Amino acid sequence: MGLAIINSISSAALLIKIITLIIIIFYIIFTLIVSTQIKVMTDILYIPHSKPIFKIISTINIVLAILLFLFALVIL
Amino acid sequence: MADIFLAPAKVRQKVKNPPEESHVNILCSFCHKPKGLSFQTQKEDEAIILFLRSAFLGANLAWIIMGVILMALPPIVAVFLTNINLGFFNSPEISRFIIVFLLFYYLFIFNYAFLNFLTWFYNVFIVTSERIIEINYSDVVVHDMAETKLSHIEDVRYTQSGFIPSFLNSGNIYIQTPGTEENFEVKGVPKPREITNIIEDLIKK
Repeated sequence: MGLAIINSISSAALLIKIITLIIIIFYIIFTLIVSTQIKVMTDILYIPHSKPIFKIISTINIVLAILLFLFALVIL
Repeated sequence: MADIFLAPAKVRQKVKNPPEESHVNILCSFCHKPKGLSFQTQKEDEAIILFLRSAFLGANLAWIIMGVILMALPPIVAVFLTNINLGFFNSPEISRFIIVFLLFYYLFIFNYAFLNFLTWFYNVFIVTSERIIEINYSDVVVHDMAETKLSHIEDVRYTQSGFIPSFLNSGNIYIQTPGTEENFEVKGVPKPREITNIIEDLIKK
Protein backbone atom coordinates (compact mmCIF):
# COMPACT_ATOMS: atom_id res chain seq x y z
CA MET A 1 0.00 0.00 0.00
CA GLY A 2 2.72 2.44 1.10
CA LEU A 3 4.91 1.46 -1.86
CA ALA A 4 2.01 2.06 -4.26
CA ILE A 5 1.51 5.60 -2.87
CA ILE A 6 5.25 6.36 -3.21
CA ASN A 7 5.17 5.01 -6.77
CA SER A 8 2.14 7.12 -7.71
CA ILE A 9 3.73 10.27 -6.18
CA SER A 10 7.01 9.71 -8.03
CA SER A 11 5.17 9.07 -11.33
CA ALA A 12 3.10 12.25 -10.78
CA ALA A 13 6.34 14.16 -10.13
CA LEU A 14 7.81 12.73 -13.33
CA LEU A 15 4.70 13.75 -15.26
CA ILE A 16 4.88 17.31 -13.88
CA LYS A 17 8.59 17.42 -14.76
CA ILE A 18 7.89 16.36 -18.36
CA ILE A 19 5.04 18.87 -18.70
CA THR A 20 7.26 21.65 -17.29
CA LEU A 21 10.05 20.80 -19.74
CA ILE A 22 7.61 20.74 -22.68
CA ILE A 23 6.22 24.17 -21.67
CA ILE A 24 9.76 25.57 -21.49
CA ILE A 25 10.55 24.09 -24.94
CA PHE A 26 7.48 25.88 -26.33
CA TYR A 27 8.69 29.03 -24.64
CA ILE A 28 12.10 28.67 -26.33
CA ILE A 29 10.36 28.30 -29.71
CA PHE A 30 8.31 31.40 -28.89
CA THR A 31 11.45 33.45 -28.12
CA LEU A 32 12.94 32.29 -31.45
CA ILE A 33 9.79 33.50 -33.25
CA VAL A 34 10.06 36.86 -31.45
CA SER A 35 13.69 37.13 -32.54
CA THR A 36 12.77 36.37 -36.18
CA GLN A 37 9.94 38.88 -36.08
CA ILE A 38 12.28 41.56 -34.73
CA LYS A 39 14.64 40.88 -37.63
CA VAL A 40 11.73 41.28 -40.09
CA MET A 41 10.56 44.51 -38.47
CA THR A 42 14.03 46.04 -38.35
CA ASP A 43 14.33 45.26 -42.07
CA ILE A 44 10.96 46.93 -42.79
CA LEU A 45 11.65 49.98 -40.67
CA TYR A 46 15.12 51.28 -39.89
CA ILE A 47 15.22 53.40 -36.76
CA PRO A 48 18.73 54.45 -35.72
CA HIS A 49 20.22 52.46 -32.78
CA SER A 50 17.15 50.23 -32.43
CA LYS A 51 18.47 47.20 -34.33
CA PRO A 52 21.46 46.34 -32.08
CA ILE A 53 19.46 47.02 -28.90
CA PHE A 54 16.61 44.70 -29.90
CA LYS A 55 19.04 42.09 -31.18
CA ILE A 56 20.81 42.03 -27.79
CA ILE A 57 17.52 41.86 -25.85
CA SER A 58 16.10 39.05 -28.02
CA THR A 59 19.39 37.10 -27.78
CA ILE A 60 19.37 37.48 -23.97
CA ASN A 61 15.75 36.28 -24.00
CA ILE A 62 16.67 33.14 -25.98
CA VAL A 63 19.76 32.43 -23.84
CA LEU A 64 17.75 32.80 -20.60
CA ALA A 65 15.03 30.48 -21.92
CA ILE A 66 17.62 27.82 -22.88
CA LEU A 67 19.37 28.21 -19.50
CA LEU A 68 16.01 27.79 -17.77
CA PHE A 69 15.40 24.59 -19.70
CA LEU A 70 18.82 23.20 -18.76
CA PHE A 71 18.33 24.29 -15.14
CA ALA A 72 14.91 22.61 -15.01
CA LEU A 73 16.35 19.47 -16.61
CA VAL A 74 19.05 19.25 -13.93
CA ILE A 75 17.17 20.40 -10.84
CA LEU A 76 13.79 18.69 -11.31
CA MET B 1 24.89 93.75 -46.09
CA ALA B 2 25.04 90.85 -48.55
CA ASP B 3 26.51 87.49 -47.52
CA ILE B 4 29.34 87.69 -50.11
CA PHE B 5 31.49 89.52 -47.51
CA LEU B 6 31.37 86.67 -45.00
CA ALA B 7 34.45 84.53 -44.48
CA PRO B 8 34.18 81.13 -46.29
CA ALA B 9 34.41 79.18 -43.03
CA LYS B 10 31.40 81.02 -41.60
CA VAL B 11 29.37 80.37 -44.75
CA ARG B 12 30.08 76.66 -44.43
CA GLN B 13 29.01 76.75 -40.80
CA LYS B 14 25.67 78.24 -41.80
CA VAL B 15 24.90 75.48 -44.31
CA LYS B 16 25.78 72.68 -41.87
CA ASN B 17 22.94 71.11 -39.78
CA PRO B 18 19.80 72.60 -41.29
CA PRO B 19 17.43 73.34 -38.40
CA GLU B 20 14.41 71.60 -39.96
CA GLU B 21 15.86 68.08 -39.69
CA SER B 22 15.83 66.40 -36.31
CA HIS B 23 17.63 63.35 -34.97
CA VAL B 24 15.34 60.46 -34.13
CA ASN B 25 15.07 59.77 -30.45
CA ILE B 26 14.46 56.02 -30.12
CA LEU B 27 11.36 56.71 -27.96
CA CYS B 28 10.01 59.68 -29.90
CA SER B 29 6.32 59.82 -30.77
CA PHE B 30 6.42 62.87 -32.98
CA CYS B 31 9.36 63.54 -35.24
CA HIS B 32 9.29 66.20 -37.93
CA LYS B 33 11.69 65.51 -40.84
CA PRO B 34 13.58 62.76 -38.98
CA LYS B 35 17.22 62.21 -39.80
CA GLY B 36 18.61 58.72 -40.34
CA LEU B 37 15.23 57.00 -40.47
CA SER B 38 14.18 54.89 -43.46
CA PHE B 39 11.78 52.14 -44.46
CA GLN B 40 11.97 49.20 -46.84
CA THR B 41 9.90 50.54 -49.75
CA GLN B 42 11.25 54.08 -49.59
CA LYS B 43 12.20 55.56 -52.95
CA GLU B 44 15.48 57.41 -53.42
CA ASP B 45 13.87 60.81 -53.90
CA GLU B 46 11.22 60.27 -51.23
CA ALA B 47 11.71 62.25 -48.03
CA ILE B 48 10.14 61.38 -44.67
CA ILE B 49 8.23 64.41 -43.41
CA LEU B 50 6.59 63.02 -40.29
CA PHE B 51 7.23 60.00 -38.12
CA LEU B 52 4.46 59.30 -35.63
CA ARG B 53 3.60 56.85 -32.88
CA SER B 54 1.15 56.85 -30.00
CA ALA B 55 2.35 58.96 -27.08
CA PHE B 56 4.65 56.83 -24.89
CA LEU B 57 2.90 57.29 -21.57
CA GLY B 58 -0.64 56.95 -22.91
CA ALA B 59 0.12 53.75 -24.80
CA ASN B 60 2.43 52.04 -22.32
CA LEU B 61 1.29 52.99 -18.84
CA ALA B 62 -1.24 50.13 -18.53
CA TRP B 63 1.23 47.31 -19.25
CA ILE B 64 3.99 48.94 -17.17
CA ILE B 65 1.67 49.04 -14.12
CA MET B 66 0.54 45.47 -14.87
CA GLY B 67 4.17 44.32 -15.11
CA VAL B 68 5.08 45.93 -11.78
CA ILE B 69 2.06 44.30 -10.09
CA LEU B 70 2.96 40.88 -11.56
CA MET B 71 6.57 41.28 -10.41
CA ALA B 72 5.48 42.18 -6.88
CA LEU B 73 3.02 39.29 -6.65
CA PRO B 74 5.38 36.34 -5.77
CA PRO B 75 7.02 38.06 -2.75
CA ILE B 76 3.55 39.00 -1.43
CA VAL B 77 2.31 35.42 -1.88
CA ALA B 78 5.52 34.13 -0.24
CA VAL B 79 4.99 36.35 2.82
CA PHE B 80 1.36 35.21 2.99
CA LEU B 81 2.34 31.51 2.78
CA THR B 82 5.11 31.96 5.37
CA ASN B 83 2.55 33.35 7.81
CA ILE B 84 0.27 30.37 7.21
CA ASN B 85 3.32 28.08 7.70
CA LEU B 86 2.40 25.15 5.45
CA GLY B 87 4.68 22.14 5.84
CA PHE B 88 3.96 21.23 2.22
CA PHE B 89 6.44 23.86 0.93
CA ASN B 90 9.33 22.59 3.08
CA SER B 91 9.68 19.51 0.86
CA PRO B 92 12.86 19.74 -1.30
CA GLU B 93 11.03 18.51 -4.44
CA ILE B 94 8.32 21.16 -4.12
CA SER B 95 10.98 23.82 -3.44
CA ARG B 96 12.78 22.88 -6.68
CA PHE B 97 9.53 23.14 -8.64
CA ILE B 98 8.84 26.52 -7.06
CA ILE B 99 12.32 27.79 -8.04
CA VAL B 100 11.82 26.70 -11.68
CA PHE B 101 8.29 28.14 -11.69
CA LEU B 102 9.51 31.49 -10.32
CA LEU B 103 12.32 31.73 -12.89
CA PHE B 104 9.85 30.93 -15.67
CA TYR B 105 7.35 33.40 -14.25
CA TYR B 106 9.85 36.29 -14.22
CA LEU B 107 11.11 35.39 -17.70
CA PHE B 108 7.50 35.42 -18.88
CA ILE B 109 6.96 38.91 -17.38
CA PHE B 110 10.14 40.10 -19.11
CA ASN B 111 8.79 38.75 -22.41
CA TYR B 112 5.38 40.29 -21.76
CA ALA B 113 6.96 43.72 -21.21
CA PHE B 114 9.28 43.33 -24.21
CA LEU B 115 6.42 42.36 -26.57
CA ASN B 116 4.23 45.21 -25.38
CA PHE B 117 7.10 47.61 -25.93
CA LEU B 118 7.68 46.20 -29.45
CA THR B 119 3.97 46.55 -30.25
CA TRP B 120 4.15 50.24 -29.37
CA PHE B 121 7.54 50.71 -31.04
CA TYR B 122 6.58 49.25 -34.42
CA ASN B 123 3.05 50.66 -34.65
CA VAL B 124 4.07 53.70 -36.64
CA PHE B 125 2.63 56.17 -39.06
CA ILE B 126 4.87 57.79 -41.63
CA VAL B 127 4.13 60.77 -43.84
CA THR B 128 6.51 61.16 -46.75
CA SER B 129 6.70 63.70 -49.56
CA GLU B 130 4.65 61.29 -51.74
CA ARG B 131 2.44 59.11 -49.54
CA ILE B 132 1.33 58.09 -46.08
CA ILE B 133 2.28 54.70 -44.64
CA GLU B 134 0.84 52.90 -41.65
CA ILE B 135 2.74 49.98 -40.17
CA ASN B 136 0.72 47.85 -37.78
CA TYR B 137 2.45 45.40 -35.51
CA SER B 138 -0.47 43.95 -33.64
CA ASP B 139 0.97 40.63 -32.57
CA VAL B 140 4.17 38.60 -32.51
CA VAL B 141 3.26 36.91 -35.77
CA VAL B 142 1.00 39.57 -37.30
CA HIS B 143 2.10 42.76 -38.97
CA ASP B 144 0.64 44.64 -41.91
CA MET B 145 1.42 47.74 -43.89
CA ALA B 146 -1.05 50.13 -45.54
CA GLU B 147 -0.26 53.10 -47.71
CA THR B 148 -1.88 55.67 -49.95
CA LYS B 149 -0.65 58.54 -52.08
CA LEU B 150 -1.01 62.07 -50.75
CA SER B 151 -3.04 62.95 -53.86
CA HIS B 152 -5.62 60.31 -52.83
CA ILE B 153 -6.32 61.92 -49.47
CA GLU B 154 -9.73 63.57 -49.36
CA ASP B 155 -9.92 64.80 -45.82
CA VAL B 156 -7.75 65.05 -42.72
CA ARG B 157 -9.23 65.77 -39.32
CA TYR B 158 -8.37 65.24 -35.69
CA THR B 159 -10.20 64.76 -32.42
CA GLN B 160 -8.93 65.67 -29.00
CA SER B 161 -11.39 64.78 -26.30
CA GLY B 162 -11.02 64.15 -22.60
CA PHE B 163 -8.99 65.64 -19.80
CA ILE B 164 -5.79 63.60 -20.21
CA PRO B 165 -5.49 63.99 -24.05
CA SER B 166 -6.07 67.75 -23.67
CA PHE B 167 -3.50 67.94 -20.87
CA LEU B 168 -0.91 65.88 -22.80
CA ASN B 169 -1.83 67.52 -26.15
CA SER B 170 -2.53 64.19 -27.84
CA GLY B 171 -5.42 63.04 -30.00
CA ASN B 172 -6.63 60.86 -32.86
CA ILE B 173 -6.14 61.64 -36.53
CA TYR B 174 -8.49 60.45 -39.25
CA ILE B 175 -7.44 60.42 -42.87
CA GLN B 176 -10.16 59.78 -45.41
CA THR B 177 -9.42 58.31 -48.82
CA PRO B 178 -11.76 57.87 -51.77
CA GLY B 179 -13.89 54.83 -52.67
CA THR B 180 -12.71 51.42 -51.64
CA GLU B 181 -9.30 52.55 -50.39
CA GLU B 182 -8.61 52.07 -46.73
CA ASN B 183 -9.14 55.02 -44.37
CA PHE B 184 -6.41 55.70 -41.85
CA GLU B 185 -6.77 56.23 -38.15
CA VAL B 186 -3.86 57.10 -35.90
CA LYS B 187 -4.68 56.99 -32.23
CA GLY B 188 -3.15 58.88 -29.33
CA VAL B 189 -0.53 60.83 -31.25
CA PRO B 190 0.98 64.00 -29.80
CA LYS B 191 0.36 67.42 -31.40
CA PRO B 192 -2.62 66.33 -33.57
CA ARG B 193 -3.39 69.87 -34.81
CA GLU B 194 0.19 70.37 -35.98
CA ILE B 195 0.15 66.98 -37.76
CA THR B 196 -3.15 67.82 -39.49
CA ASN B 197 -1.74 71.17 -40.66
CA ILE B 198 1.43 69.54 -42.01
CA ILE B 199 -0.53 66.88 -43.94
CA GLU B 200 -2.94 69.51 -45.32
CA ASP B 201 0.02 71.61 -46.47
CA LEU B 202 1.52 68.57 -48.20
CA ILE B 203 -1.78 67.79 -49.97
CA LYS B 204 -2.03 71.37 -51.25
CA LYS B 205 1.49 71.28 -52.75
